[in-house]
Amino acid sequence: MKQEESEILKGIGKNPGFKVPDNYFEDFNKRMAAALPEVERRPANVVPSTWVKIRPYFYMAATVAGIWCMLTVFTNLNSTTMNQINEVAEQMGNGNNADEFIMSGTSDYDLLNYEDSVAMDAETPQLQSVTNNE
Amino acid sequence: MARSTYDEQQVIKQLRDPKTVHAAFAMVIEHYSSTLYWQIRRMVIDHDDANDVLQNTFIKAWTSIEGFRGDARLSTWLYKIAANESITFINKKKTANHISIDDDDSFLVNQLESDEWFDGDEVQIKLQRAIATLPDKQRLVFNMRYYDEMKYEDISEVLGTSVGALKASYHHALKKIESFLQDND
Repeated sequence: MKQEESEILKGIGKNPGFKVPDNYFEDFNKRMAAALPEVERRPANVVPSTWVKIRPYFYMAATVAGIWCMLTVFTNLNSTTMNQINEVAEQMGNGNNADEFIMSGTSDYDLLNYEDSVAMDAETPQLQSVTNNE
Repeated sequence: MARSTYDEQQVIKQLRDPKTVHAAFAMVIEHYSSTLYWQIRRMVIDHDDANDVLQNTFIKAWTSIEGFRGDARLSTWLYKIAANESITFINKKKTANHISIDDDDSFLVNQLESDEWFDGDEVQIKLQRAIATLPDKQRLVFNMRYYDEMKYEDISEVLGTSVGALKASYHHALKKIESFLQDND
């Protein structure tokens, strides 16, 4: 500090010549403390509950889980549908297996009903021949 | 006096409790009013103006005390508010007196001779005139270093300027003041 000071300033000194009224600071301190405006303060020492602390993380985890579920369902649905379409296309493309493929989805009960209905409708030649073949 | 029993950490704790904040802030006023007054007075020169700016400084600190997070010292925070309030006041006074914001603050010293709260001599008035030619921020640097003998690190915290830049600024301020005093001898 001393090295920084110039010779001229050393000659002037550090008293700027300012003064204040007698008891200025004592009076000011009292006036100022009394004149402080009312300000609504939030209690600073309120400890947040555990739920309040973990709530943001819970919401974040729930969001991630929701997105993951949606993606999983969508992906599975998509692949199942595509597999089914591919299978149908393959089976239908092969003429020998087309009937078998279509019938594989039919229960025995449906077949019995079908055969009964055919037997009852003997006037239909095409269906009659099918019945005779069996 | 209470000044000797002032415990800053304790006061900061009390400032955070709504029940004790008023009493704690009264202790802050008592502890810092003199230091802040002289910092402001050296900027605005006039006693009544310094009184107004000091009040504004404490009001601003009081209303925004929740914003004081305690990672800086209370003194640094208050010095910063006082510095900003001083510069804001000077700019408003310039506007009111139809003086350009870019002009220096020499107009503040014009009434010094007739000021009842000034008992300095011609040389001291001349020094104040020299200091008033400095830009506001450089005046703050000069006053804090020359009159308050603050460390550059502390000034750096208040003004948010690097220590190196402050050293250069103070050095230039000294040269300008010397030059002014020699030219007006």
